Amino acid sequence: MARLPLDYAVRNLGRSPLRAGLSVLGACLVVLLIIAAAGFVTGMSRSLRASGDDRHVILLGAGSEESIERSEIPASVGSLVAAAVPGLETSMGVPHVSAEVHVQLPVRATPDADNPRLLLIRGVTPAAMLVHRSVQITEGRFPRAGHDEIMLGSAAPRQLGLAESDLAVGSTLWIDKSRWTIVGRFAAPGTVMQAEAWTALTDLKAATKRETDSCVVLALGDAEFADIDAFARQRLDLELTAIPETRYYAGLASFFRPVQAVVWATALLIAAGGLLGGLNTMYAAFSSRVRELGMLQCLGYRRGAIVLSLVQESLLAASAGAVLASIVGLAMLDGLAVRFSTGVFGLVVDHTVVALGLAAGLALGLIGALPPALRALRLPIPESLKAA
Amino acid sequence: MTTAPFIQCRSLTRAYRKGATVITPLRELDLDVPAGDFVALMGPSGSGKTTLLNLIAGIDRPTAGSLIIGGVDLGRLSAARLADWRAASVGYVFQLYNLVPVLTAYENVELPLLLRRMPSRERHRRVALALELTGIADRHDHYPRQLSGGQEQRVAIARAIVADPPLLVADEPTGDLDGESAAAIMSLLVRLNRELGKTLIMVTHDPRSAAHARRTLHLEKGRLVADDRPNAEAAA
Ligand SMILES: Nc1ncnc2c1ncn2[C@@H]1O[C@H](COP(=O)(O)OP(=O)(O)O)[C@@H](O)[C@H]1O
Ligand SMILES: [Mg+2]
Repeated sequence: MARLPLDYAVRNLGRSPLRAGLSVLGACLVVLLIIAAAGFVTGMSRSLRASGDDRHVILLGAGSEESIERSEIPASVGSLVAAAVPGLETSMGVPHVSAEVHVQLPVRATPDADNPRLLLIRGVTPAAMLVHRSVQITEGRFPRAGHDEIMLGSAAPRQLGLAESDLAVGSTLWIDKSRWTIVGRFAAPGTVMQAEAWTALTDLKAATKRETDSCVVLALGDAEFADIDAFARQRLDLELTAIPETRYYAGLASFFRPVQAVVWATALLIAAGGLLGGLNTMYAAFSSRVRELGMLQCLGYRRGAIVLSLVQESLLAASAGAVLASIVGLAMLDGLAVRFSTGVFGLVVDHTVVALGLAAGLALGLIGALPPALRALRLPIPESLKAA
Repeated sequence: MTTAPFIQCRSLTRAYRKGATVITPLRELDLDVPAGDFVALMGPSGSGKTTLLNLIAGIDRPTAGSLIIGGVDLGRLSAARLADWRAASVGYVFQLYNLVPVLTAYENVELPLLLRRMPSRERHRRVALALELTGIADRHDHYPRQLSGGQEQRVAIARAIVADPPLLVADEPTGDLDGESAAAIMSLLVRLNRELGKTLIMVTHDPRSAAHARRTLHLEKGRLVADDRPNAEAAA
């Protein structure tokens, strides 16, 4: 089938620079939205996945498998499991067993600040640094016990909505009613931990008036998950459940799947609105050219060739918008920190997300042009030659 | 020995069904046109002139009867074959020129040639020749909006002849032009008929334009009512 030259499609775009501009802009916005949604969902999933290590096991209170924060276990569990299970990872004789308290507490920069935000405070012992290898202290030091000291993750300021300068090492924070001193900053790239504050286990338990721990996280080393599981089942008195850390975060991810679905649904609804707008523009543009399309058929061009040319025209505008959106997405959205109940995570605009955005842009160009093109060619040639 | 006429219409009928009513703009028309003829189609508005012309141009299909042009029964061609037949066999000249506004005169004339495989040198040669023949070569890089009506029609005629089809059809080609431009376009069409031997079917309201034809057909209510050959001696 003989085609119309691509140049014809290009120049038809130039018939109305305003329409072409709006088409490019519309496609750009829709694709940007899809990139943002995909970046959000990818970022959230990735941060939850990165937070779990397949050689780590979490011991939780039986019945609290879904939430560490709700879990309570005796403070003795850490030392009991370390003594009972041989082969756990050790460093210079210290087993990689981290007893922890996880609690969300309101945090203020000043004692009378309004609307404090919640931050996940993790009470830990130095063993936590052995278990959670992705945590790197970037400034200051690890909090000492007995001094109400605290160490902030790199994304904590964003989580709190506070300026970095308010949270410099040496400044103070108000957690609930008590005063804490910031002694360090840490990074834990890509994990939920970067949006937490860490403090000494005993200090946090004193401040929250609790005797129990939330969980024990341990590194298996030469032991197997079955060993830890057996320990949990045998020590009925401790009321424990053992779950692999990866499974815990996979559970969190599936808990948030409805949220991801809502994000997608919203993005797709708005994209559908954009598509309808695009259809409308294209209907107007093509229907004003019905007579010219009749003339082309008169010359011997087949309908298919004409539809192809009209679709090319729309694809040109849509792909220009999609490329623009990908550039903006990569430059401005990739890594952008967002605050969510899973903590702070970065939007991920990787090649999969960009490819998805580009594909969405092409689909938009195709679906936006096909019905108007077919409609513009609906009339028999003699009637289209009579069109205005 | 008599050769078959170039165009042969037998009981050619075109009807439109609109609900219960049937409109028949063309009714059982019999017509033979020899190759190289120049026929003017006249008649009151709504008498079926454009309907007949569109059938002959292969952009419409008969409801009944047969239409054979150059040995091809147009009623039997698929839509795609008919499109190919048009590209090779017929050039259409419109009252309102129908040039593509975003293409230059040259590019407009080139359009029919892009339908066939052809070296670009050959294409260029043919476009230049068509523009030369229609006397518009000096405006080849102008866009339609930069041309007068008469000049636009010259470009449109160049487009109709560039693929060298044996048949030209024109629907009121001077209907939108002033007297002087109309006369110039008419003498161009006459030259295409006389010098290049194109068979030419032209709808017109203007007796002065019709006077250039070898033969004038009068239609009324879809029927042929008169067939004048004032110039028949010249043709014979
Ligand atoms: N697509 C159509 N549907 C119904 N009637 C039509 C259609 N096209 C033409 N007609 C009718 O056919 C008749 C002849 O039309 P046409 O051939 O255009 O006349 P003209 O001699 O003025 O060129 C008119 O009465 C017109 O209303
Ligand atoms: Mg007419």
